[in-house]
Amino acid sequence: MSSVRDRNESAWLLPADGKHVNHQLRHDMRHFDDTDEVDLVVVGCGAGGSTMIQRLAREGWKVVALDAGPFWDPDTDWVSDEAGSHHLYWTEPRVISGSDPVPLGSNNSGRGVGGSMVHYAGYTPRFHPSDFQTHTLDGVGADWPIAYGDLKPYYEAIEGELPVAGEKWPWGDPHSYPYRPHPVGGNGEIFLRGAEAMGLTAKVGPVAIVNGRFGNRAHCIYRGFCLQGCKVNAKASPLITHIPDALAHGAEVRANAMVTRVEVDERTGRATGVHYVRDGVARFQRATMVAIAGYSIETPRLLLNSASDRFPDGLCNDFDQVGRYLMVQGAPQTAGRFDGEVRMFKAPPPEVSTEAFYETDPSKPYKRGFSIQTVSPLPITWAEHVAAQGHWGADLRNYMSDYVHWSCLGALCEFLAQPENRVTLSDEKDRHGLPVANFAYSQCDNDSHLMKAAQGVMEDLLHAAGADEVITINRYAHLVGGARMAADEQHGVVDAGCRSFAVPNLYITDGSVLPTQGSANPALTIMAVAARAAERLISTSRRGH
Amino acid sequence: MGSPTPSPTQPWSGRFPGFDVLGQSSHWDPVTTGVVLERVGMAPDIRFFTPSEQGVATALCDALLGQDDPTNQESRVPIVNLIDARLAEQQTDGWHYHDMPADGQAWRDTLAALDTEANEKFGTGFATCQGRHRASLIQSVQDLGTDQWHGLNAKHVWSLWTRYACTAFYSHPSAWNEIGFSGPAYPRGYKNAGVDKLEPFEVHDAKPADDPLRGTP
Repeated sequence: MSSVRDRNESAWLLPADGKHVNHQLRHDMRHFDDTDEVDLVVVGCGAGGSTMIQRLAREGWKVVALDAGPFWDPDTDWVSDEAGSHHLYWTEPRVISGSDPVPLGSNNSGRGVGGSMVHYAGYTPRFHPSDFQTHTLDGVGADWPIAYGDLKPYYEAIEGELPVAGEKWPWGDPHSYPYRPHPVGGNGEIFLRGAEAMGLTAKVGPVAIVNGRFGNRAHCIYRGFCLQGCKVNAKASPLITHIPDALAHGAEVRANAMVTRVEVDERTGRATGVHYVRDGVARFQRATMVAIAGYSIETPRLLLNSASDRFPDGLCNDFDQVGRYLMVQGAPQTAGRFDGEVRMFKAPPPEVSTEAFYETDPSKPYKRGFSIQTVSPLPITWAEHVAAQGHWGADLRNYMSDYVHWSCLGALCEFLAQPENRVTLSDEKDRHGLPVANFAYSQCDNDSHLMKAAQGVMEDLLHAAGADEVITINRYAHLVGGARMAADEQHGVVDAGCRSFAVPNLYITDGSVLPTQGSANPALTIMAVAARAAERLISTSRRGH
Repeated sequence: MGSPTPSPTQPWSGRFPGFDVLGQSSHWDPVTTGVVLERVGMAPDIRFFTPSEQGVATALCDALLGQDDPTNQESRVPIVNLIDARLAEQQTDGWHYHDMPADGQAWRDTLAALDTEANEKFGTGFATCQGRHRASLIQSVQDLGTDQWHGLNAKHVWSLWTRYACTAFYSHPSAWNEIGFSGPAYPRGYKNAGVDKLEPFEVHDAKPADDPLRGTP
């Protein structure tokens, strides 16, 4: 593979003068007119959308990405503070329902250029080969129309571009990482100590946080505010890993542009562009192709809100697949109390993980598995843990004063894809007058088995490390699915190349196309899927559509 | 400001003697400094709550965060002003449960319900009834679990109150002093991470065995 700089110069396009944005590059950014028919308009500038425009701009395509949120400047827009980071999340109205409703916002929903990766922890594990055929292997979930081997070269490419630091990885398809593992803080130390005492394999990483220097990106300073946006430019997000290179190759990023509808010509059956609102003015960007990358809630919502005579139940929804099979991971977090001071806030929350429980264990009453990682909540999030135990008033204050003594681990349990876990349109409207998403979620038995099993392992691990007390909070993490890829249009919305079955020039290139999610944080896989879709688009167009 | 002195009614105070997170503010970046120092300045005026709602909300939030002891109001955090500012600006989390109204209306409805209940049970409003009566009303909502309370899922009501109140309280530097949290850390970062390792400005817990689960020694 060519050197990273030869194929993605983003890290070298960032300034080396102590600032974290190349203002000249943004100032010189190409601007397309609404009436220009661009080669591709991308909706959403997160993990999937940013990767797409970077790949295609390098090939000389005229591309513009519209994002509903701001074009962040880490120096002026982000703070080293929990409550002050509220604006990083998608907080437009949404309704949650089902027997196990999943809170959104700060939990899993990003906003602005860089998307959710602006506030993700930074873990970037690969999916395991088994994730691509859970139905064949275990009779649950779904098989992907592609195999692990189809994504592997893109995993390797993206791991180089982020870049990822970690120990040699023994699970799934064993592999190594381009950068050495980071040193660990108190929480990572506890995890490694407990794992060793249990005879459990645990590894440092994999995190998309610079260890050493990479282009003009700085080494991590271990300040612990990864989830509040990395002011250091050490933690990877597309804002710094793909957007600079895209701009340098002529892409436009149009921020604060809320796409309201994808237009499809009823006569030709092809998408002609997108309607969007910017500064209160309704506009229409013409395009030869459209790629939606708004993630698992907003992508289905946009399709449903783009209903027409030809698609009365929503765009690409001929077979009632849009919005379905949306998944979260069960993410119980178990904390342990030590007389020593762990001070888990003094390091990046993502430090150490184990995937020893990732695969189906035939001796268990459930299929698939879970991973365990350090999480290290800051005070406000930690208060949620304590309040969840039922404490309030003086009890809560007393318990909270013990913060420095606690170590906290989090599990990611593979929840299964189910058709009724889905996005539909609510009666409620947003400020644009558009129906908001109603996201329904209910666990199945396998899901709740995994939650309990993961909690048990985390309790054992913390006890093995010397904890005298443990507490657990049940919660959820990540989103994938909602417009999944499948072998045919009766089982999904897009094909293996992310092209929609219903509209030949409409693509979906974000986490909503994932048919399963394993027990891995999804960012790396979303980027790899988008990179693969982009490459196939490029080779198809070279052959002349 | 500094860490409050130990108090018999506040066993959580005095664990980090002399630790003052604001003493580090000259090492913070200016944007973060602006955001944090605004919280220790004058509390924002009430704009969202009506005076009556403000009274109920103050009594509720002070009870939830254990700052309702009238004889000890040191380092009191203006929780309701901070919540009010968020609601006035519609700075909500966006999502709401399908069986709850949007957050602002949910606050108004649940404060009114609390006040009604206090009047019915104790013949006076929630803001003016006795502390133990207030505590029993609050406890009764928590005890309902997922059962209905004034037409709402009590668990979702509890989640609304505690989420907003805890976010406001633990965003405040005086709360950070109380729990030994070192606050903003940019551009300084940390040099001594690891169990029992401190930065030069950090202070060890003076009562390391004071595990709340074991009971206060």
